[in-house]
Amino acid sequence: MLSYLIRRILIGLLTLLFITFFVYGLIRNMPGTPLTLEESTNLARELTEEDANRLAKHYGLDKPWYEGYSVWLSRVVQFDLGRSIPKPYTVTELISERLPATLLLSGSSLFLTYLLSIPLGLFSTATKDSYFERGLGLFLYMLYSLPAFVAALYLQILFHQKLGWLPLANMVTDISEFKNLTLLEKTWDVTLHSILPVFCFTYGSLAYYTRFVKSNMIEVEQQDYIRTAKAKGVHPFKILVVHAFRNTLVPLVTLVGLTLPALLSGAVILEQIFAWPGMGSLFFESIDQRDYDTTMGLVLMFSVMTLLGQLLADVLYAVVDPRITYD
Amino acid sequence: MAKSSGHEAKPSQGFWAESWRYYRRNYRAMAALAFVFALSLIALSAPMIVGTKPIVCKYKGNLYYPMMGYYNNRWEPSIFHQDRFRKRYPENLKKNDPDSWAIWPLVFQDPNRRVHEDEWPGQPGNELAEKGIPNKYNLMGTDIDGYDVFARLVHGTKTALLVGFVSMGIASVIGITVGAAAGFLGGWVDVLLSRLIEFVICIPSLVLILALLAIIDQVTIWHLMAVIGATGWTGIARLTRAEFLKIKQLEYVTAAKALGAGSTRIMFVHILRNSMAPILVPITFGIASAILTESALSFLGFGAPPPNPSWGTLLSQGRSNIQDMWWLIVYPGLAIFFTVLAYNLIGEGIQEATDPRTREAK
Repeated sequence: MLSYLIRRILIGLLTLLFITFFVYGLIRNMPGTPLTLEESTNLARELTEEDANRLAKHYGLDKPWYEGYSVWLSRVVQFDLGRSIPKPYTVTELISERLPATLLLSGSSLFLTYLLSIPLGLFSTATKDSYFERGLGLFLYMLYSLPAFVAALYLQILFHQKLGWLPLANMVTDISEFKNLTLLEKTWDVTLHSILPVFCFTYGSLAYYTRFVKSNMIEVEQQDYIRTAKAKGVHPFKILVVHAFRNTLVPLVTLVGLTLPALLSGAVILEQIFAWPGMGSLFFESIDQRDYDTTMGLVLMFSVMTLLGQLLADVLYAVVDPRITYD
Repeated sequence: MAKSSGHEAKPSQGFWAESWRYYRRNYRAMAALAFVFALSLIALSAPMIVGTKPIVCKYKGNLYYPMMGYYNNRWEPSIFHQDRFRKRYPENLKKNDPDSWAIWPLVFQDPNRRVHEDEWPGQPGNELAEKGIPNKYNLMGTDIDGYDVFARLVHGTKTALLVGFVSMGIASVIGITVGAAAGFLGGWVDVLLSRLIEFVICIPSLVLILALLAIIDQVTIWHLMAVIGATGWTGIARLTRAEFLKIKQLEYVTAAKALGAGSTRIMFVHILRNSMAPILVPITFGIASAILTESALSFLGFGAPPPNPSWGTLLSQGRSNIQDMWWLIVYPGLAIFFTVLAYNLIGEGIQEATDPRTREAK
């Protein structure tokens, strides 16, 4: 196991090296630099050529991209992600500023997904082939196919435009007044604003996980030991939850590992629609403004998470299923 | 496999015929297939459903098909350009040739411009922006510039379907080739290609897509398809690899080898044909997600430039006018939803019909 882990981590580091090299080359070759792009800074119009050259030198933009990459890499191994060019912050500051907003969405969405999908999945297994269950199944399937950005717009029309119950976008009503609110008012304000985004984040995976739980349960239910339990007169509820469900935990646990990157990456389009100051919108802004260091910091973080998630899934697989070993 | 029933000596059905038999029983999947078929018909015949150019007309003694201009600008008969029609067919036809006649599309509206008052006798001009609520002339309202939303949706069907097919076609070619090589050849080829797959999965597709689109000077719908295809092949490659690993152990492959068949022949003639069914499933789901990606990109403002009516572009217009133009969101949203749903249902149908485990359960 240990040698397997070490091998996986070494391969992962190599993959990371390739990914960052490739992405750095790609974004440095996108037309425009943060200094020339108008939308990224108002400085561009006022800069004299001399100043622009000096700035380009300062940020290392005068060097070819592969040299820039080696500078970036040598900084990263010293745990310095560099600083944003259009924004007056370091990349670490930017990420730690945006991360809570995304975690609020993805964390509560993940929690709700597990909280609801397991009972729903068990319920559909228990009431299998009834009309109600088929209706529920079709409904969940339709939810799964409904694109989140379409749903977000529909919900905005319904709950903001027609009913006026919920705010349209943003995380708080008024940033400048937010500081003066009491803790209770703050919580209420953020809660109101996060209802729609959290819903849009959740419903797709809720539908997916419910179907996932159900299909796994149905496979397990055909096993001999379930028939044995039925034959000796165990209560159907106990069979469902204690005997059958425990065995569907294996695939469920590995799914947790694969959702790890989604927890931090946020969702670009949803955050755009709800003007949510999270990682997704930071990522989008940074690509749009050619903010190289920020993009690289985020890409590094996402790829580490993806690789870690895959590793975690494989390890968890071996932990919950004793038949699987890595030698 | 062949069970002897009442009719003796009936040739046993092939794999695909039998799969089709199972697929047909699934009424949801059949409805989805019918829906996609209907969409293709709409995409092909869009200029006959809604347009401002006659389907066919008799003008100065000759027959012309001006609607061809919607498929390709150059296909619009040049005589109408010489006679200075300026896209106003109804009045100019009558004015220049009183004996002319024409067969018109079902709805007189245009996806690429605003229709003005009395262009069509008695039809009022299109309203602009928030005044363009759906009415009997603009079935789904008009957008900010007074273009008819129904016309844009109908003409945008072509974009959505093309994106699905072309980008997944590209993705399938890459994915199947990479997966087949990795699975069949094994050894260092497999190690390298598996790393490549992992590498592409790890790169956030948004960076890849936006960077590639930024490097291209003038983005057309074809570039968009190529980029979506070039980023969306990993799932297919992984599945193909797994299938090849499994099938290459089978005896008929050894037999083919013993008969002297070359690697390429074994890979693409013998193995691929037998792994086609499971590979088709992620391809179908991939079509759905390609359509989603295209509309999401258009929504973010990175889509193909006009005059390419795309459902996502309409949505993004609707988003910036969410306060008072609900029709710009509701109708394109429904179109995207139903198309994605249909492809997902077809994918599920194929999965159930071709997988022996689910077949027996029925």
